[in-house]
Formats: sequence, C-alpha cells, structure tokens
Amino acid sequence: MTATRMTNYDRTMLRVMNDPRGRRLRATAARRRSTVAAHVALTAAIVALLTHFCLSRAESTWAAVAVVVLLLPWMVAQGLINGATRGLLELRERALDERQLAERSQVLARAHRATTVLLAVAVLGLFASGMADGDALRTYAPPALAAGLVVHFLMPVWVAGLTARDEPAEDEPATLP
Amino acid sequence: MSEQVHNRLAMVRAERKVSRQSLAEAVGAHYQTIGYIERGQYNPSLDLALKIAKFFDLPVEALFSLEPFRPLTDEVYGRKQP
Repeated sequence: MTATRMTNYDRTMLRVMNDPRGRRLRATAARRRSTVAAHVALTAAIVALLTHFCLSRAESTWAAVAVVVLLLPWMVAQGLINGATRGLLELRERALDERQLAERSQVLARAHRATTVLLAVAVLGLFASGMADGDALRTYAPPALAAGLVVHFLMPVWVAGLTARDEPAEDEPATLP
Repeated sequence: MSEQVHNRLAMVRAERKVSRQSLAEAVGAHYQTIGYIERGQYNPSLDLALKIAKFFDLPVEALFSLEPFRPLTDEVYGRKQP
C-alpha cells in the first residue's frame, strides 16, 4: 500500500474486495473466464433492452422489467470479477500495493487497445452501412454509441477478470533454491 | 525487460514460521504479492525488497539475487560448485 493514509472507506472496501467467500467460484482461470463471458452476455442483453426501451415507439415496459431482472445476476457477476481481481479497479490507489498498481496500469493499457480496435470496427461498420443505405446511420448510430460507451466503461473490468492469476496456495511448502 | 530475480523468501518465511499475511501486513503489501514473489512471478521493487529484508533482519542479498542461489547445504557445508 502507498504511504498515504487510508480512510475508513478504503479499509472497508479493502476488506470487502478481499472477502474470502466465493473463493472457489473464482479459483481457476476457466471459472473466471465463464464469469466474464456471463458478464459480457448480460451487459449486451441489458444494453440491447435499454436501447429498445428508449428508442422503440411501441409499448416496451417489458424491456424495463427485463433490465431490472437482469441487473441482479449482472451485479453478482461484477462482484465475482471484483473478488477475483481483489478490487484492482475498484480500490483507490492508496489501498493497492506496487504490484497491484503495476497490474492496474497493464489492465488499463490493454483495455484501451481493445476498446480502440472495437470502436474502429464500429465506426467503419457504421460508415459502410451508411454508404449502402442512407437511413442506416440514423438507425444504427444511437445503439452503437450506447454500446461504445458501455464497452469503454466495462472493458477494463473484463480484461482484469481475464488476466487475473490463480491465488498462490497459502503456506505451500517452501522450495529450496 | 525485467530480469528474473531469484529469492529465498518462501524458505526463510517457512523457517521463521511467518505467514504470508503477517509478512504482507508488516511490509505494506498484499498477501498475494508475497506469494507471487515467492513463485518468481513478480520482482519486487528495491523498496519492497529492503523492507522484507529488514523484517527478517537479513541483508537483502541473503533473500534476493540475480543469480540462482546455491542450495543451503552446499553453502553451510562448503561443497564446491561444479
């Protein structure tokens, strides 16, 4: 941890993020990948439903209800990823040690690269569809913008979840050099 | 870019009966960081290496080295390296 003093909030969050409950759910890379995949799928569904709710002219109260229902498993998946990364992205800098700060920088850099590629693909796709059909830009731009914002916001979480390493076994036998 | 830094942390920690958690708290690091250092998956900064050495009251070169450590029995009983 850094030399700056931690507040009560920092200590509470540190405890929450290092809560050993649910350790088995995030113990292996396969389980962490499954959690991230579920989180991505739930996020996509929520964004699609919200976009439909906001843009559709038809009655779409069901979409709002579905979003509320999906938010619960989404929050569970988010909590599992945060637990797997020990709050790498959630905790303040002063609650992280030097290795975690270095890992956070790596995760943010990778997420930035991935988001840049995805945004480039989205922009090219929009331009291409706009050239093919004049109305396509107007139709696809709002959902593409919403999806872009969400991906930009959540990509670091997904990258952190996918790159989290297995926990070293506690008190594993010391190996002689 | 970073070179592998060899260490004897796991052995010294086991010998002194210190848990990862208590070492981590003493040096202001996360307990996983201690585990990653022991497994050679993370090279500590000079600052952290010195703090760990101070905790065990050992010179830093007794715990960390750029060269692989010789087995302790060889060092104690003076067997020559091939």
